[in-house]
Amino acid sequence: MRFLFFVLAPAALLAQHGENSVAPRNPAMKDPNAVAAGAKLYATSCAGCHGPDGTGGRGPNLIHRLESNPLKDDELFNVIRHGIPGADMPATSLSDDDTWRLAAFIRALTGPAIETDVPGDVAAGEQVFWGSKAGCGNCHAILGRGSRMGPDLSDVGGRMPLAQIRESLMPPPKNDPSRDHMLAGKEGVTITLKSGQVIHGIARNRSNYSLQVVDESGKLWLLRMSDVKDLKIMEHSMMPTDYQTRLTSDEMRDLVAYLAHQSLRPRGAFQESAEGSK
Amino acid sequence: MRRVTTGIATALLFAGSITAQVRYEDILKGAGQDWLTYSGTYQGSRYSTLKQITRQNASSLVPVWTYHVPEATGLRTSPIVYKGIMYVTNSNAVFALDARTGRLIWRYQDTKAKKRGVNRGAAILGDSVYLTTADNYLVSLDRQTGAVLFSRNFADANKGTMSTSAPLAVKDRILVGSAGGDSGMRGFIAALSPKDGSEIWRTYTVPAKGEPGSETWSDLHEWGGGGTWLSGTFDPDSNTLFWATGNPWPDFSGKPRLGEDLYTCSVIALDFETGKMKWYFQFTPHDVHDWDAQSWPMLLTVPWKEADGRTTKRKVVIHANRNGFYYVLDRETGKFLRGAQLIDNVTWAKGLDDNGKPIVIPGKDPTPEGNWVCPSVKGATNWMSQSYNPGTGLLYLLTLEECGMFTTSSQKPEPMKNFAGGAATEPGGQVILRALDPATGKRVWQYPMTGSARMWTGVVSTASGVVFSGDDDGHMIALDGTNGKHLWHYYTGDDLTASPITYEADGKQYVSIASGTNIFAFALFEPVQQ
Repeated sequence: MRFLFFVLAPAALLAQHGENSVAPRNPAMKDPNAVAAGAKLYATSCAGCHGPDGTGGRGPNLIHRLESNPLKDDELFNVIRHGIPGADMPATSLSDDDTWRLAAFIRALTGPAIETDVPGDVAAGEQVFWGSKAGCGNCHAILGRGSRMGPDLSDVGGRMPLAQIRESLMPPPKNDPSRDHMLAGKEGVTITLKSGQVIHGIARNRSNYSLQVVDESGKLWLLRMSDVKDLKIMEHSMMPTDYQTRLTSDEMRDLVAYLAHQSLRPRGAFQESAEGSK
Repeated sequence: MRRVTTGIATALLFAGSITAQVRYEDILKGAGQDWLTYSGTYQGSRYSTLKQITRQNASSLVPVWTYHVPEATGLRTSPIVYKGIMYVTNSNAVFALDARTGRLIWRYQDTKAKKRGVNRGAAILGDSVYLTTADNYLVSLDRQTGAVLFSRNFADANKGTMSTSAPLAVKDRILVGSAGGDSGMRGFIAALSPKDGSEIWRTYTVPAKGEPGSETWSDLHEWGGGGTWLSGTFDPDSNTLFWATGNPWPDFSGKPRLGEDLYTCSVIALDFETGKMKWYFQFTPHDVHDWDAQSWPMLLTVPWKEADGRTTKRKVVIHANRNGFYYVLDRETGKFLRGAQLIDNVTWAKGLDDNGKPIVIPGKDPTPEGNWVCPSVKGATNWMSQSYNPGTGLLYLLTLEECGMFTTSSQKPEPMKNFAGGAATEPGGQVILRALDPATGKRVWQYPMTGSARMWTGVVSTASGVVFSGDDDGHMIALDGTNGKHLWHYYTGDDLTASPITYEADGKQYVSIASGTNIFAFALFEPVQQ
């Protein structure tokens, strides 16, 4: 269910991958060689605090931080160069070129997974996704195949950073309630109508007055709360939390590779400009 | 588990799943409970059989819900409604709303589209909602969940083509158009498969060198414009599509493209099966005022007085053009039958000759110093919807009385790099909603508006004789279709930038319209049921 976060938060997504980040002033920002060089710099200069995949440690989770507080390329450059005064983030003494390379890597790390090199076997991951052991297709669809009750994953690699895809397959951290993944729009519900009919599904939207629910078969129900006799809301997401034990580490890796590969646009595609009124 | 239990049982108003598929036959029926295609009907008449809201009770209309479209600046979308779900679009985005409450059901956004631009709406067929992105991808989305079924490119945005019009779903095809004619491109209409977006046929609106019609160009065929940025109409009897084409490029400089510049500023009739052109009619040969023909080629059958005095019925295409004139064409041949002046001030032509060609007044082309011409670049009317009401027998449309200064630029026009080879001003004018006799173009009544001529809204009319539109100040309005009398208005707080529709959900008739930033829905007042 975690996947829906980005579907329902495209404003954050746009801010993150909007004009400022996609029209870089420095060519290193889209250069795969610069990204690779930046990865090495990151491993030695940043991973100690921000974690090897940017998901945090002693320092903040970069994926979450840049999602909620997007930085322009030059702002990212300046944070790396000058640090954050008053916080633990120190200044660096990297050259301009290296600072841009590092910024390019961080942008790739926090950008859509399709833009990064992901270890694993995509074809094997496809088998895992559609196989009964993981059973992803029982709730999710990709280009029309699978169940439409849960969030659509046709473009998951084109929208979600790699670290976030990995995170989605893990149990929510107990120490971070904000990552409970039970945001509005993906609540598991059981509804009993006054007619006696019972519906299980996900409430895409819910207010005190109306409900929009997709049931297990992918059917959409538009309901008034005045027609509802009883509404049970699940405390936790319907997304399984046991993939670490259900799947082998190779299967997990390949599944992540397959998901990262799901993009409606090819690698390197990005928004250019605003125009056109006719 | 958390549990929410409601109070005492009330009547079950609506508790249904949404299962049926949208068929071609459903769209063919025209607008009633549902609104299944851009104009409501294939004929382009934007007429609905609903009649709960009447001339007598329209004064009791109230706003029921408002949906703010995130990041919207100038919504051009005309909603599609099917079984209680409304689909509206913004640039590269579709929003599915509960049509009774305005609550969001799902949202699709293509965040990687290479272009952004206006979007006029979606199409619906089978279980899919279809969107075209600004950079020319046809996207098929599951209408219940928004899940992506395919996303396929049909034109190269790097060659100046963009997509802004609502796709048209007919039988087993999705018809798409092309935009971008103001900065050089080659217009086309394409028929794509609703299953995977693959191309069935494509017809260009500007002939390639050597093809018939290419002799009407001196140069620039490949960038000649002729955009098809508005949806078209369809005649099921003759299996023919009718599409309006945009201006030639460069817009205001005719020197690089001496000749009539076919098939720009025209209406073209295409065979649905093959895309082959059956006929064309060019309203403005060698246009230099950016008067695209993007107003509706509406398909009507009107009473017709024959030469021998008998009154018969005639199948026609009627068209109110940006250039200031109103046209009636034979639907089968495209032959000009009758014309009329649409607005009071037309200074570039004396009238139309027997073949419907404008009798041009010399010296009205744009010049380096500027030339004051009526109508203005925005035109006597534009892409906003018109409505024909079989009950009143009248055609309702928004017209604009405005003149403007047209200038040429000394800069050499370069495709996709600079605008138009000149410029034009829109100093302000008066918008007037007019009711015409569609067979003659004669005015029956008119409703003048205050405002600054910035609106882009159109008209919808119903079987109860009510005309809904927007005024030039941002009011949604209802008028008596028989005489233009004001029945009701509501201030939206914004310019209205798209055309209204009407639909029914749970037995209640709604009227809906997009402003610059919001979708509004109105219905007759009813106390809240507890």
